[in-house]
Amino acid sequence: MGEEVREKEEFEPKIVGFTCNWCTYAAADLAGTSRKKYPPNSRIIRLMCSGRLDPMFVLKVLLNGADGAFFSGCHPGECHYIKGNFYARRRIAALRTILKQFGLDNRFKSYWISASEGEKFAKTMKELSEEIKKLGPNPLRGEIL
Amino acid sequence: MSKGAELKSEDLAGLFKGLLENKVVDCLVLPRRAGEGGKNVSYILVRDASKIDSAGAGTAAGVSASAVFAPSFSVNAANILKGWTIGEKVGLVAKPCEIRAAVELVKLKQMDKESVLLVSADCSGAFTNQDYAANADEIGDWLEAGPGGAKAEELKGKGVAVREACEICENRLADEAGADIALVRANGGDGDGGKVVVAGLTERGVEALSALELPLEEKDIERAGEKAKIAEAARKKRESLPTASSVQELEEFLRDCIVCKNCRDLCPVCYCKECFFEQPLGNPVGGDLLNLAALRGAVGVPTNQLMYHLTRVYHVSATCVGCGACEDACPKDIPLTRFYPVVTAKVQEIFNYTPGKEVEEPIPFTAYEEEELEEKLR
Repeated sequence: MGEEVREKEEFEPKIVGFTCNWCTYAAADLAGTSRKKYPPNSRIIRLMCSGRLDPMFVLKVLLNGADGAFFSGCHPGECHYIKGNFYARRRIAALRTILKQFGLDNRFKSYWISASEGEKFAKTMKELSEEIKKLGPNPLRGEIL
Repeated sequence: MSKGAELKSEDLAGLFKGLLENKVVDCLVLPRRAGEGGKNVSYILVRDASKIDSAGAGTAAGVSASAVFAPSFSVNAANILKGWTIGEKVGLVAKPCEIRAAVELVKLKQMDKESVLLVSADCSGAFTNQDYAANADEIGDWLEAGPGGAKAEELKGKGVAVREACEICENRLADEAGADIALVRANGGDGDGGKVVVAGLTERGVEALSALELPLEEKDIERAGEKAKIAEAARKKRESLPTASSVQELEEFLRDCIVCKNCRDLCPVCYCKECFFEQPLGNPVGGDLLNLAALRGAVGVPTNQLMYHLTRVYHVSATCVGCGACEDACPKDIPLTRFYPVVTAKVQEIFNYTPGKEVEEPIPFTAYEEEELEEKLR
């Protein structure tokens, strides 16, 4: 096996996730208690609501070298605080438009995963991890910004 | 159709005096001509109507149509009124981009809607005020409306160009800003001898004009054809501007940035009293900087260019009026017009929002639809 190939295989991306306490965080918990397997690449930061997500968080992790970032909250219309995720959705749409201009949008994903969707959470994490692996390491990692 | 009256352009100073004398407003922020030969155009805040020097109409110093319509941009006047309008009524006479910024500030609760009377004047695109002052004789009082006017092209050949922000501006006519009163140039003539239509766009605007006992009649200031032409050319120009399309290119673009934050300070819609970039996380100094260097091995100083500009462009993404004050403010001459208005236009497009056009229309981030935007999230 060539050196290059091995290096690619060994690349384990660091993915930072921002999840809502009431839905996706619970879904991650459910995935754990029901013993669903998913890759250990994601580091989850719990927010009380997806509306708490300041797009600056995402910029910060990407510029600091995270290979990927994701955001996940309750399905629209099912927010614990009634409308937090509606506001979040607009902010995310704006943020993605900006990231797209600079080719960073493929490293940032957003999902709606409810508390009962442990299976979906595990599956999503698996897909995300594979997708980011394909993209390779964040070119900004280790760069002097 | 709007209620309005036609004035001779030399009567414009009288109109402003009237606003003060009739207590329609307590003070007025106005462009005036100053300096040698009245070549410099800047703002004054007037309380005493007698200080409005109508005798100086024309190219001499003073308040006149030739100051109001002069193709010269110094600061965004909305920035002057940001955060302190309380009780007393202030009138602001300015270009559409400045009025649009004021409207955004009203929505952001940084300006009290009841305490301002917004008067917007047709704009032909502008030079920086220093460019204008240096070439005032050649430029004259007014450029041909729309891009590519013969005079503008000729001057461009000599290296005196209209600001890029103005070239990509789609809303140059007075009534395209959410103003109370519009000052419309009714004929193509220069300066004095021209005609100006003063039209009330809102109820408050019409009331203000009625208080001056102007002979109001129905005036058609719509000019749809001209607007479409300007917007089309501006859009084309915007799309043709070289804009960074990767983080690496953006880094290169911002290479000279010294993070002085002048672009923030002069930006009318960047209004936070406690900016993130003045706090330790956003403005690492001393130990923070050492920690950052420990984390990355090395850190470029001054640091945070990318984070600062990307965050700021998000913060103004809905409200940026594209006035170009950021570029004028940049001590390192970074062409920020190729970043802020270009990127924010893309965000405004997904919300179908034109900042400053409608006072009643909420800023996109303060409203929502139950079903929308799903395709923009993935």
